[in-house]
Amino acid sequence: MSSKPSVARIYSGFARGTDCVISELEVSVTPGIPTFSVIGLCDSSIRESHGRIMSALRSSGFNMPKGHVTISISPAYMKKSGSGFDLAMAIGILFASGQIPYSPGRRTYAEGELSLDGSVKGTPGAALRLNKAGSEGFDFVLIPEEERNSARCTGFEGRCVKDLGEACLVFRPNGYLPEKFSIGEEPAISDGKLDISMLKGQEKTKRAIVLSAAGFHNMLLLGSPGSGKTMAAKILSGILPPLDKSETGEVYALYEALEGPAAKISSDRPVRCISPDVTPGKLLGNAMSMTPGEMALANHGVLFADEIMEFPAQVLDLMRKPLEEREVRLFRNGITYVYPADLIFVGAGNPCKCGMFYEPGSRCKCSAGTRKRYLTRLSGPFLERVDIFSEMRSIGKDDMALMYADSASAESPAVRDKVARCWEMQNRRYGGKVFNSSVNAANLADAMELSKDILSYCSDLASKGLFSARGYQKTLRLARTIADYEGRSDVTKADVSEAAVFRAHEL
Amino acid sequence: MDYKDGEMMDFYYTAVLMNTAVDYRVIRELFEKGDVETHRDLYGMAKMPSTKIKDLLLSPQSERKLRDWLESKGKVEKACEEYMQLGKQYGIQVVSSLNRMYPVNFRLQTGMPKVLYCRGRTELLKQCSYQGSVAVVGSRNASGYALYATERFSSEFSTKGITVVSGMALGVDRKAHEAALQGCGSTIAILAGGPDNVYPPENAELYKQIVSKGLVISEMPPGQQPLRQYFPSRNRLIAGLSDCTLVMEAGACSGTLHTASFAAVQGKEVFVLPNNIYFENAEGGLKLLEDGCCVLYSSENVIDSVTQSIVRRRLEYPDLMENEENIGGNPVSEASNREKLDLIRLKADKTPDEVTDEEWEALIEDELTLKSLDIDSLCNSLCLPFYRISDLLIRLQMSGRVVLENGKYALTFR
Repeated sequence: MSSKPSVARIYSGFARGTDCVISELEVSVTPGIPTFSVIGLCDSSIRESHGRIMSALRSSGFNMPKGHVTISISPAYMKKSGSGFDLAMAIGILFASGQIPYSPGRRTYAEGELSLDGSVKGTPGAALRLNKAGSEGFDFVLIPEEERNSARCTGFEGRCVKDLGEACLVFRPNGYLPEKFSIGEEPAISDGKLDISMLKGQEKTKRAIVLSAAGFHNMLLLGSPGSGKTMAAKILSGILPPLDKSETGEVYALYEALEGPAAKISSDRPVRCISPDVTPGKLLGNAMSMTPGEMALANHGVLFADEIMEFPAQVLDLMRKPLEEREVRLFRNGITYVYPADLIFVGAGNPCKCGMFYEPGSRCKCSAGTRKRYLTRLSGPFLERVDIFSEMRSIGKDDMALMYADSASAESPAVRDKVARCWEMQNRRYGGKVFNSSVNAANLADAMELSKDILSYCSDLASKGLFSARGYQKTLRLARTIADYEGRSDVTKADVSEAAVFRAHEL
Repeated sequence: MDYKDGEMMDFYYTAVLMNTAVDYRVIRELFEKGDVETHRDLYGMAKMPSTKIKDLLLSPQSERKLRDWLESKGKVEKACEEYMQLGKQYGIQVVSSLNRMYPVNFRLQTGMPKVLYCRGRTELLKQCSYQGSVAVVGSRNASGYALYATERFSSEFSTKGITVVSGMALGVDRKAHEAALQGCGSTIAILAGGPDNVYPPENAELYKQIVSKGLVISEMPPGQQPLRQYFPSRNRLIAGLSDCTLVMEAGACSGTLHTASFAAVQGKEVFVLPNNIYFENAEGGLKLLEDGCCVLYSSENVIDSVTQSIVRRRLEYPDLMENEENIGGNPVSEASNREKLDLIRLKADKTPDEVTDEEWEALIEDELTLKSLDIDSLCNSLCLPFYRISDLLIRLQMSGRVVLENGKYALTFR
C-alpha cells in the first residue's frame, strides 16, 4: 500500500454547449473536525454530492475519512453543474485517504453519478465528454455502464462500471482491462416512411423533393390544406441516405446531452418539426440552460416548418443567420457556443389566406391585394435562403386511388441510392462534406465546373425576368445539383431551365 | 415637325370635306368611276378647270358639289394651311389609309375615315391590330358599380396588352382611360372634335396623360370644335376600331347604345354589364341584353372574343398582318394546323423520342389554347418527364409565347 498522500488528483469533465471541458479534481484530506467542502464555482447539484458520496462509500465497504475533506474542481473560474463528478470525487477521497492505492504518475478519469447504494449512473452529455476524454490519453478511464452507447459513438476506450466497488477493483495490479468501444451496424432506415411514389400527379413537388435531398437545398412548398405538404417532408426524410458513423455520433451526442442515457443510436436522419408557436429559445436553443434548439437538433437532417406563413416575422428572421452560416451561435457569459446546423429547411404553407390559390377552378376567394399582403410575411432576405419553390395541389380522385393501390412499387430506395451517388460526386468535387447548396468559393462558377455558355444562358434567363438577380446564384447551384443527380459532369442549358422553374416567380 | 407632301394632301382632303359641299357620297362616286385612286388624288384634281367636270360623267348633284369646291378653292387652301399650322403646333400626326399604321379593323370596313389625326403614341394603332382592342363605353353619370367594373376590366385588359378604346367622356369613359393608364397605358381616346380639342374640359388632366402614355385620335382636323352632330360618327369609330364592345351602363336613350348598335352592325360582339333592373340608368343596357348581347361577367369571355377576332384577322388577311413577327412567312389555316398537331400527337404516343423540341412546343401551346395549366397537369397530359417540360416551358417563356400567371402557364396575347 502506498503512503497516504495529502492531495490526490483525478480528472472528470463537464459538457459546455457542444464542447467539453476536462476538469481536474484535487482532493485533500487533513485532520480535524469532519467537514466537506467543494470549491470551484459549483452549483448545488455538485455540492449535494456530499450525501451521495458518504452513503455510497459506506455501502461499498469504505469509510468517509475523518477530517477536513476539501475538493477543488478546476478550472475554478468556470461555472459547473451536474452530478457526473460524483464518481471522480468518491475515488479522489479514497485515493487521498489511502483506502485504495494511488500512484500520482498515472492519470485517472472518472465520471458518473452515485446512488446511495453505491451504484453508478449515467448523466446527460456523456457523448460530448467522452469524445474529449477519449483523446486525452488517460491511464484509467471509468464510465458508468449506462453510458455504453455514448462510448460506442465516440469510438472510446475505457471501462464501464456498475458500481463504486467495481470501480475500485480497477486499481488493483492488473485490474484495469480497458474495452474498445465502436459503433457497429446501426439500425437501418426504417421503411415505415412514406414512399415517394405517393406523390402521384405532383411531378414538380416530386422533383423538388428529390433535388432538395440531392443537394441539401432548402425548400418552400406552398399549397392548399390537404395537398400533402407534411407528407412531402416525411418523404424527403425517406430518400436521404443514412448518417455515416461520425455523423451518427454527432447527432447522438446532441440528443444524449438533451435526453440522457435514454437516447437511442440511430443512423436515421433527424426530422424536426416546428410550428408557428415556436419560441426563439426553442428554435435556436437556450443560452442560460445550454439546451440546443430545434435547428441544432435537425443537424444533418430536416427542419420542417409547417404553416410557415403563420410564423411571426421575427422568428423567421432569427433563422436567417443560422441557415446562411449552417450553425447556431449562442452567447453566454461572453463565450460563444457553436452548434452545427447543417440541415435542409423545408417550409410549408398556404399560398394565400384561403389556401386555394393553386387549386383548379377558381376556388380561391382572395383578391390580388390580399394575396400579396399575405405573401409579404416572408421577407426578401428570408426567401434568399430558399433554393427551391414548388406549389402543390390537392390530389385528384384518380391519383388518390392509384396512390393506395400499388404500394408495392416503392421508388424511394432507388432514389435514395441515386441521391447517395449524387452526394459522392459533390463531395469529390469540393473535397469533404460540402454540398452544392453550401459550397463557398471565391469563384463559384469554377468550383462548380460551369462553362461560360451556361453562365450567359443563366443571365439571359435572369434578364427575361424569370428570376431576380439574387436568384442567379441559386439557380446555378440547383442546376449543378440536377446535373449531379443525373450523373452528368457537365451542366446543360436544360438543367438551368429546370432550375429556373423552381424559382419563386411570384413571391 | 414638318409635314411631308403626302401628309399635306391628307390635310387637303379633310379640308375639302370640311369646307365645301363635297361629301362622302361624292368621294365614293369618284372612287367608283375610277377618277381617283386614293384620297390624295383630290389634291391633284383641284387644279382641274371647272369646265372639265362634265367629262367625269358624274351625277348632277355630285357635279354641282364639285363645282362648288373648285369655285371656293382659296377657302379650302386657307383652311388646309390653318390645320397644318395647328397640327404643327400641337405635334399632331397624320395616319391615312396609305400608312402602315392605319388600323386593320378600319381597312376591313367601308365608310371609315381615310385620314386620322393622332396625338400620342401612334404605335398603339398597330398594337390594336396585333394584340386586340376593346371598346369600353357607358354612361357619363354612371353608378359606383359600373365604375368599379370598368376599372377592374380596363386595368386587366391594359395589363394584358389589349388596348382600351373609349371616348374620353365623363363617367365610364374617363374611368376606363384612367384604369388603362394605370396598367401598360395602352388606351386610345377617340374624340368628336379635333385631336387638340379637349372635351369635356374637366378631362384636361386626363387628356394630358393619354397624350403622353396613350393615344388620342380623331377624324376631325386640328382646331375643329366638337359639334353635337359629330358624336354619333365618333361612336361609330369607337366600335369600328375595337374587336368587341363593353357596355358598362346605358340609359334608355344613351349615345352608348349607338356605339353598341354600330358594333353589332359591324359583326362584333357586344358585352353588357348586367345591372339592377330597377335602376333607371341601366335600362338601355338591359334592353341590349334582351336583344341578345353577351353578358359581361368575366374577362375571360371578352379575351376569348378578342383572341378569336385576332385569329380571324390573321387567317383571313395575312397580307394585312404581314409585318407581325410571330405569324411567319406562310400562315397556315386552322384546319391544316389541327391535322399537323394530330400527327405530332400520334408520333408522341408511339415514338416520343423522335418528336422534336419545336413539335413539343407546338403541343404545349395547343394544350394551353383552351385554358392555362399548371406544370403538373402539363406533365400528365403530355406524358413528358418534368425536366423536359420545364426546359420547354422556360424556352417558351424566353421567347415570350408563354407567361406564368398565378402558378399556371398561359399563352400570351400576341
